[in-house]
Amino acid sequence: MAVIAIAGQPGCRVDQLARLAAQRLQLELITESKLRQLLNDEFGSESAIPAKALPHALTCLLAQLARRHHLCVVFPGVELIVPRFPASLRACAVAAEHFRLGNLMLDDHLEREPARALLAQLEAQRKQTLKRCFGRATIPPDRYDLIANAETLEPDQIVDMIEGAAYAQGLLRHGLLPPEREAELQFEMRLQFSRHGLTPAGTAALVTRPFANHSEQVFANLLDFYRIAWEYEPKSFPVEWDKAGKPTEFFTPDFYLPEPDLYVELTTMKQAHVTRKNRKVKRLRSLYPSINIQVFYQKDFQNLVFKHGLSEQVLPA
Amino acid sequence: MSGAASPPIERVLFTEEQVNARIREIAAAIDEHYRGRDLKMIGVLKGSVYFLTALTRALAIPVKIDFLAISSFASARNSRGLVRIAKDLDEPIEGEDVLLVEDIVDSGLTARYLLQTLAGRAPNSLGVCTMLDRTSRRLAPLPIEFRCFEIPDHFVVGCGLDYKQRYRNLPYIAVMKPGV
Repeated sequence: MAVIAIAGQPGCRVDQLARLAAQRLQLELITESKLRQLLNDEFGSESAIPAKALPHALTCLLAQLARRHHLCVVFPGVELIVPRFPASLRACAVAAEHFRLGNLMLDDHLEREPARALLAQLEAQRKQTLKRCFGRATIPPDRYDLIANAETLEPDQIVDMIEGAAYAQGLLRHGLLPPEREAELQFEMRLQFSRHGLTPAGTAALVTRPFANHSEQVFANLLDFYRIAWEYEPKSFPVEWDKAGKPTEFFTPDFYLPEPDLYVELTTMKQAHVTRKNRKVKRLRSLYPSINIQVFYQKDFQNLVFKHGLSEQVLPA
Repeated sequence: MSGAASPPIERVLFTEEQVNARIREIAAAIDEHYRGRDLKMIGVLKGSVYFLTALTRALAIPVKIDFLAISSFASARNSRGLVRIAKDLDEPIEGEDVLLVEDIVDSGLTARYLLQTLAGRAPNSLGVCTMLDRTSRRLAPLPIEFRCFEIPDHFVVGCGLDYKQRYRNLPYIAVMKPGV
């Protein structure tokens, strides 16, 4: 069992590092937004969890998930929790202020001074959250196994270091979290929850979807290299219904890119199969006009891959 | 002799007059936006050379220029593509208002890579000016402040845009014949 916590100073694009690390080490990525969703599902509402109980709620959730998956987690302060798990690693990205300002300028379309104000706000928020939930405003360097400079190292190189540390520690040789260790952790957490009147549902689970074909993997690599956040098949849209109004057919676009709010469908299959796909996309657009979707056909995709120097041959799905 | 042959174009998308008129409009907008500021325009080699030259000639405000070139190559270690700067800027951009000048923005991936690189060098602001904006294949969100023309999903040449390094010097923008 491996639980890798990825943390970093605001503006270091921690989510991107975590995504790359999860992909490289074949871990399940648990982003802050996904973890908040899981907390809502498990405890009814995240707001029902007192700040002091949040570390216990996170431990309870991660213990359930680590029974079935190797995890890569991003959440403020989670690096203080993961040492409770038998095989864990904590990595932190840091960078000079001007570099982090540059990232915020680009990501939020800001000029330098507004970006500086945003950075100060993000830093204050992080300190406040840590203080409120974990009783400390800062986390000292000795709480990390690995600290990397995001300015001098490319994201790929930082992930190389995380990968090396994970192998050196033998993290990936461990099996999943043993049931008896999960039971110990859950017992401890339930004692804590009783103080706050919290009852976890005990049903936390991840829905995982492997890539359907090699082209999707190549496309995901391309997005990762260009630091574009993506989600794989996050949503299915009903496109046909029976007379009773029950959905009978769904369309699930391959990727969702949150920043441009764009769905992407890769159609690298043979032309004979494209017509059916086109019909579905047309139907999706007519039923959900607010949805922004782009279809990349085989030739488009090959051009993209060729132009951006990917070595892999694009194979028809 | 192929060099003397007519370019294999289907139709002219924007005439020389239309291109020049639009460049003058964009130059006026840049003048307005950057008046009193320290503007540096960065061209991406090779495609942006013609556009950058025409644009800067139409500007009234003083401006500095510099150039970047990128190359892409495949990584043998993994399947991830790699893009690297083949020619870096000659001067630092710290504290300057930087406008990246492109001939065309398509998927936006290249421009985004360059902006990320430039963002870490402490400019005062960072924007994009492109002659052509082909949004139908956009993947990366970009702060495009100035664009001359938005174009449909066609392969175009001229005004710096090439097909196998040719036709950059056409004074108009044209759609290539299908199947070329």
